[in-house]
Amino acid sequence: MQSGDVIALRVAGWGTEYLEDTSHRRLVLEYYDREQLPLRRYLLCLGVDQENCREILQETFLRLHQHLLAGGDQTNLRAWLFRVAHNLARNSQTAFHASRTGPLADAMTAGELASGGASVEDELLAKERTVRLHRAMQELSAAQRECLVLRSQGLKYREIAGVLNLSTSTVGENIQRGLERLKDVL
Amino acid sequence: MNVPDHLTDDLLVRAFDDELSDREEILVNAHLPGCEGCRQRYGAVRQLSGRIESVIAAGVPDALPNDRDALVERLEAAHVRPAPLPVGRSALRSFRWIGPIAAAVLLALLFVPRLARLLSENPTTASQDRPSATFEVDGETFIPLPYSNPDLPMSAPHIVEMQVPVASLASAGVMFEPVSNEAMASDRSVLADVLVGLDGQPLGVHVLSVE
Ligand SMILES: [Zn+2]
Repeated sequence: MQSGDVIALRVAGWGTEYLEDTSHRRLVLEYYDREQLPLRRYLLCLGVDQENCREILQETFLRLHQHLLAGGDQTNLRAWLFRVAHNLARNSQTAFHASRTGPLADAMTAGELASGGASVEDELLAKERTVRLHRAMQELSAAQRECLVLRSQGLKYREIAGVLNLSTSTVGENIQRGLERLKDVL
Repeated sequence: MNVPDHLTDDLLVRAFDDELSDREEILVNAHLPGCEGCRQRYGAVRQLSGRIESVIAAGVPDALPNDRDALVERLEAAHVRPAPLPVGRSALRSFRWIGPIAAAVLLALLFVPRLARLLSENPTTASQDRPSATFEVDGETFIPLPYSNPDLPMSAPHIVEMQVPVASLASAGVMFEPVSNEAMASDRSVLADVLVGLDGQPLGVHVLSVE
């Protein structure tokens, strides 16, 4: 059903009042609750800073609302969200700059990464491996990193291709090459 | 046992990602169980993927409740209200639940997008001749409201759950048996599903419970 956000509840000769059709907003918030974390992970991995990340996220979901109001295609809203967030990040000047100052650096120094290792030695090893992996990810090409991060958030190659404007086979290649380079690090 | 060709890294990765074509899948399924080497490489893909996931997940705070609140505010500010039509007031004004419902009641709004079909099967549901007759929408029984306009197309109605003052229902000709005298008090309201037509006219009401 294509309904507006506000429906008129009108009784003849009676004045005009309105009821809000909250269904779109509810859907937006449902998606927000489900996707804001994966989206933030993606944006932060792109090198978007926290403040921009919040703004982009807000804008992304406001656009989702507009998209729904306009009766836009709802077949794959998850991929749609990533695509919009990606494009907004591309447009923002500060995005895509950071290569070594990803969101993980803080966590590394703060020692927040849980390793689950039994001994202190194991834990240190695991932490070191994670740091190395993180660094190696920053060394990847932007496309490889983007593909790997989207993949890690559960997107299918076809969806990643849609987000990044690539062919599905190029997505596969990027994932493959990226993994190879990361494997060498470990 | 002769193992013709080992699986390429590309195939193993896409096997892990569930991105194989039917033909590739047959190939992988035929090879993998019998080849320890490829199974190990497959395991390495799985392990590496898991590590990448945890690296990406690390350092990103789980929830930012303020951001959600900000979004809710911006969404509420974003919707456009159509300009009200200048229409005179009448006795139906006593249906006060329409005016001040605003926030509290709207929280309980319930929109059901599956009524058009059912309603079109019930073209006489809004008949003014039989105000006491009921009709069903998706298994829910509604009392038609007297001012429903049967001439209008009923293509996309909603069910709206709201508190309706008892007095308003009575003045609209819809009586229901109160469970107690308290419920009869004029300031009492009942929780009801109100069926709203495309034109914004209430088509029917289904009383759910006394407040
Ligand atoms: Zn093999």
